[in-house]
Amino acid sequence: MSNIAESTAKKLDGVFNPRSVAVVGDKQAIGYMWLRSLSHFKGKVYSVQIDPNELPGIAELGVENYLNLMDIPGPVDYVIASVPRAVAPKIVEDCIQKKVGGACFFTSGFAETGTEEGIRLQQVITDLASKAGLNLIGPNCVGLYNPEIGLRHTEAQAYGEAGSVGFIAQSGTQATLFSLMGQHHGIKVSKSVSYGNAVVLDSTDFLEYLGADDKTRIIGMYIEGVKDGRRFLNCLREVASRKPVLIWKGGETEAGARATASHTGSLAESSVVWQAAIKQCGAIRVETLDEMIDAIKTLLYVKTGIGTRLGLIAMSGGQSVAVTDTFAKAGLEIPLLTNASYQSLASFFDIIGGSYRNPLDISSTFFMAANGVSNLVSMLDVLDQDPNIDCIALELFPAARPLSHDPEAKDPVLGAVSDFTEKTGKPFVVIVPEVYSEALASEARERLMERGIASFSSFERAAKTLKKLADYYQFRKEQSQGEDDG
Amino acid sequence: MPSKIISNARKDKRTVLTEIESKQLMSEAGIPVIESRLAKTKAQAISISKEMGFPLVLKIVSPDIIHKSDSGGVKLGLGNAAQVGRAYSEIVAAAKQANPKAKIHGVSVQKMAKPGVEVIMGMSKDDQFGPVLMFGLGGVFVEVLKDVAFRIVPLVRRDASQMIREIKGYPLLEGYRGQEPANITVLEDLLLKLSDFIDKTPEIKELDLNPILAYSDGAVAVDARVILESQT
Repeated sequence: MSNIAESTAKKLDGVFNPRSVAVVGDKQAIGYMWLRSLSHFKGKVYSVQIDPNELPGIAELGVENYLNLMDIPGPVDYVIASVPRAVAPKIVEDCIQKKVGGACFFTSGFAETGTEEGIRLQQVITDLASKAGLNLIGPNCVGLYNPEIGLRHTEAQAYGEAGSVGFIAQSGTQATLFSLMGQHHGIKVSKSVSYGNAVVLDSTDFLEYLGADDKTRIIGMYIEGVKDGRRFLNCLREVASRKPVLIWKGGETEAGARATASHTGSLAESSVVWQAAIKQCGAIRVETLDEMIDAIKTLLYVKTGIGTRLGLIAMSGGQSVAVTDTFAKAGLEIPLLTNASYQSLASFFDIIGGSYRNPLDISSTFFMAANGVSNLVSMLDVLDQDPNIDCIALELFPAARPLSHDPEAKDPVLGAVSDFTEKTGKPFVVIVPEVYSEALASEARERLMERGIASFSSFERAAKTLKKLADYYQFRKEQSQGEDDG
Repeated sequence: MPSKIISNARKDKRTVLTEIESKQLMSEAGIPVIESRLAKTKAQAISISKEMGFPLVLKIVSPDIIHKSDSGGVKLGLGNAAQVGRAYSEIVAAAKQANPKAKIHGVSVQKMAKPGVEVIMGMSKDDQFGPVLMFGLGGVFVEVLKDVAFRIVPLVRRDASQMIREIKGYPLLEGYRGQEPANITVLEDLLLKLSDFIDKTPEIKELDLNPILAYSDGAVAVDARVILESQT
């Protein structure tokens, strides 16, 4: 890593791990959301507010209020400013004078409005902060989330434990949604940041920081635009060679580009060039938050080295056809098995109401057999041993056979799937489609998640994710071979 | 140290290089091009044609005419000196008619290349990411189907290899209905040479090699067009 990168990482470390936080301008109208979000912060929390009407509400939360940032007796490592835009320059000046570690401006109404006043005010705070070297995050963002120390931007976010996934989002909503949705998919955030208009600190600075952060194993990014494309590329290439980086580029369509201009004031870039950039750097491109979640979940819970040759097990003939089409359309292969595999399958498979070429349609052998679960295990074992198969996907159909409601109870299917996950050397995923009860399906997915088994809510999502990851592992393989050759 | 071709154009305050200049520049970058020689008169065209041998192609050389074939500026398959002389007069007349103010340097005389798979390579600059290389199959594939792949300069071999295989028309490069297959390694080499050259030559704003004819044992650029950054 270059010296510049080291110094960026060092300077941001204090901001991501503050010991004291001051909230400037929190108020009743937004339910004191900022002070409340800090209710479990492991450090000092101060409020700065001059409106006498707000003081009782702040006192009720048990937070010490000051009339000016400068009046706070100790050092302030991180400031969250939620003030009217006209006051922003004054608060930036105070932050500089107080020598705070960094400041996030939730305040919006700057260049993204396209108005003269907004653009002028953005320039004023940019100039002030750049000249003084203030670590300004935003404006027009929700800033940092560090669950380990209880630094959050909404009370709904988890706290107390550091996860392994870093998230960098231009949009505050995407940062919040990722952390909240992630909780249901076994994804725990190490640190995340939303950085809005990126007037001083940009995505590249945060990528450098999380790239160097030992607790962060995987990095997700939602980007609308970057300030310095070449610097971003160099940083992305370097970080992506060490840990998976997933990029969701907002504003890929013309209409979307117009939306980004009025959202964070980012300039539209050609989407084909972005796609090339992501591919060239060995990052993983996703197009929605769902795809982001699915891919990260797979990276976390599924064995590495996913290949393109799938062994599929479906619960009925119709689903066998549907799953095969979906996986094939996504660019995956569903090859024939070896003769040895067919010989083993023939010994127990009931071909009346089922078939086993690949996919394995197991309705009669599973649902209608007394030893259905042990048959399922045998089929999984056959796929596990078959050299034509890189990766195994199993459909479960909880509407027909619900998994146990009680997580402590020993559900035989869940037990068999769990044991197989531990035992198999191959990447293995489960698909629990909604079918006719989302409640049952989502419960089944939760049970699987508790056991560290990645499951998907549709064949499409599973297929798309596995193809993405297969491409990623292929790229990494070629990359390391290239290095060996060169 | 920029090429003499670039400094000459700069001296003339030109940003558009002629085909002959563009090809010389490509040749300096190690890209094989069909040799083109400038004929400033009909007599010169005829004498060059006798030296080169037939069949030949004549093309207008003018910094003011970019779409040469649209303005009657290209004559193909010329089989003897008489045809070359007539083609010279027709091309110059057509150019003057298409653009009376066009500055005409003369006509380029070049050998007719043997048929191969037509591919194109080009470079344009992205505001954020800088120079971007493009690869595609020539003609209808690029113009109508937009079947092209992009990579940001500089490329490594993996990028070159992937971008060639990424286009939908890739099977055509592997040989189709008995057509001679293109040598993919040669195309990768060309992309890498271009990338390297562009990386070292920031003066270039846009570049087009269209078409490049790809063969089983090589490839050659039949036409080249280079536009320089305007001087500030």
